[in-house]
Amino acid sequence: MSDHHENSDHNAESHQKSNEPNKKRPFHKLIGHHAKKAGSKFTKYLTERDTIFATVWVFIFIILLGKIPLNLGVLNPLKLGLKDFDFNDVYYSHVGNEQRNDIDKNIIVINIGDANREGIAMLVEKAASYNPKVMGLDVLLDGERDPTQDSIMREVINKNKNLILAVKYQEDSNGKLIGGHNFFKTDSSLFGFVNFPYNSEAESIRYYYPFKKDAHDQHNILPSFTSAILKLYDSNAYKRVEKMVDKKVTIVYSRKVTEKKKQYLVVEPETLMSDGVDSSALNGKIVLFAYATPFNPMDIEDKKFTPMNEKYAGKSIPDMNGIIVHANIISMVMEDNFIKKVPAWGNLLLAILVCWLHMSFFIHYYLESHIWFHLAAKIAQVLSAIFFIWLGIEIYTRYHVKVDMKLSLVTIALAVDVIYFYEAWAVWFHRKSGYKTVFKPHHH
Amino acid sequence: MKKLSILFFLVMFSSLSYAQSQFMLYSMKGNVSVVENNVTSKAKVGKMLDSKAILKIANGGSVTLVCNEAAMFSIVKAGNYPLSKFNDSCQAGRSSVSANYVKYVWAQMTKASVDAGSNRKAYMNTVGAVTRNVNNIWIDSKLDTVNYAGGDFPLSWKCYSEAKEFEVQLYTQDNIATPFFSTYVTKLKINIPDLVAKMKPGNSYFWNAAVKGEMNDDLKVLNYVSKEKFDEVINIINNQKPGGEAPAEEAYRTAFMLEDAHYLADALKYYSKAAQLEPNSILYRSTLMSFKKDYEIK
Repeated sequence: MSDHHENSDHNAESHQKSNEPNKKRPFHKLIGHHAKKAGSKFTKYLTERDTIFATVWVFIFIILLGKIPLNLGVLNPLKLGLKDFDFNDVYYSHVGNEQRNDIDKNIIVINIGDANREGIAMLVEKAASYNPKVMGLDVLLDGERDPTQDSIMREVINKNKNLILAVKYQEDSNGKLIGGHNFFKTDSSLFGFVNFPYNSEAESIRYYYPFKKDAHDQHNILPSFTSAILKLYDSNAYKRVEKMVDKKVTIVYSRKVTEKKKQYLVVEPETLMSDGVDSSALNGKIVLFAYATPFNPMDIEDKKFTPMNEKYAGKSIPDMNGIIVHANIISMVMEDNFIKKVPAWGNLLLAILVCWLHMSFFIHYYLESHIWFHLAAKIAQVLSAIFFIWLGIEIYTRYHVKVDMKLSLVTIALAVDVIYFYEAWAVWFHRKSGYKTVFKPHHH
Repeated sequence: MKKLSILFFLVMFSSLSYAQSQFMLYSMKGNVSVVENNVTSKAKVGKMLDSKAILKIANGGSVTLVCNEAAMFSIVKAGNYPLSKFNDSCQAGRSSVSANYVKYVWAQMTKASVDAGSNRKAYMNTVGAVTRNVNNIWIDSKLDTVNYAGGDFPLSWKCYSEAKEFEVQLYTQDNIATPFFSTYVTKLKINIPDLVAKMKPGNSYFWNAAVKGEMNDDLKVLNYVSKEKFDEVINIINNQKPGGEAPAEEAYRTAFMLEDAHYLADALKYYSKAAQLEPNSILYRSTLMSFKKDYEIK
């Protein structure tokens, strides 16, 4: 304690002395001096045991708050608004994809509109006449309907051996993994499941499973819709996901289709039927049939929330047709554009480092310029949030590595409050057991 | 070595200067054709075109092109367009992620928070309730049928959205599905003389106006009356002339009867004549002013 004050006095004295010849100092030395002074605000208390213990207390608080079995954020608008939020969403929605405009010419989406089974069959037949390499029908043709229409549909499905049907990933009454909800699926059909792993329709689609394995039967493996398509279209790309059974893969969204951006070719049914599509656009390509109304934001049928939503937090409307999500997955696999995630221990290590640095800075202001403490802390919190989100985005863009900055930012937010608790705790412990601390009783 | 370097740079320079933009025809509307190597063919979605191609867009047609997989633009006016003139539209923004981030953060930090309701324009454009058979364009029922024989007269409408461009379409009686003429205007009216070149006297047409990019099924009748037919109408009106009618009164009565018969351009001529002949008449003046106001005549 006394050592610390001696140090402080010494610093103040040396600072006063060093101020005298300031006028004669060269500019670069002056900048160096101020940089050193600013740096000392971070480092002065870095190795103090109080900084280290206060950092530990921040994490104890985070663990304790996390252990409370009640949802304390039930009425907290901030928590509710940020429930489905990832800092990298800023990258997708506003920052990262602005400069990308390239169209993936391997994929063509054909809007089925309100066509019935006969209409869909006609569209498939018409597209098939252009010789696409693979066709994917992202429609759950559940149950029997009109016999004539069903018969036409079945004939078209049987005829086109490169047509992938959509099924739903589900279990039957015996707990066996099956691809359901498609009346036309037979043993010889090609199919893939189209459902995504999320808890409610209001959540963003961030992940997908290339393959799902039966919990009881190791040989019963169901491919996703995109994996089934890739198997026929590009064997090299397929090899990249072939072994990803039961592996949750982060979807890298690289393209969208809106009024402003058109990164997949979306063809209207009447354009296709009236020979309005150039044969080169379909020949040898992936043709996906689905309900696709990307140019009408008010039509939210089969639209999902994605990280590309312009409003990434708070109330919004779904932004992307399911088929465009599938198209993004296909593009990601073909371009080998996967994202690696920093493991949990890496994120924890980063959070400890960030918290430790900030704690040192906050304690400096708390003890030596208390009048400015809250102002400095708030400014530091805002600037740190901006900096660390930028850092996360830069790492994401340059190295395709996703660093979860959430914990780091939570520690920065908690650190200020923990200092008050820590001061009381340290003083109490000092009185009781002679614990050495830089905090004095009734410091402020 | 020096010569080789110069040769290398020359080859590089010439290949760069000959680099052509590639255009993808993303979507189209109406009658669009492409001229490539002097061969004209129907334009098709997904077709790749180079700078040497020429796009021919008929009235009412539009095209959206994606250039070099970088920039996107649309052509909405009829005409012939050599794609070489759009090379400068192929530039895409090249700002870095960091620059975008700084711009985004700054824009959000400096964005003024506006009290809901204080922005009148935004307030007036809120949806409010569902609409039934109402579109953004409203054409006064007074213009349901217009008989036109000559003169200057506008077809006007009101718009409920913040549109800046409107599409005026003309249909023949035989085909009300596809307009035979379409033009874009920025004002909330179009003068009939601007359409006259597309019409033949003695024929009936339908017209409508829509916000650019939207549809309006509400068709109005525009009869282009021949001179002979109009003379007959005027004769009928003249034959109803009561005894002792002053010239101003006659003009006023003629105007009133012409307006009733939907000859609006001619009614304007006679209302103006009545007001001119008797400038002190409040009735003639106010009727002329009301008529002009009703039909958006400046």
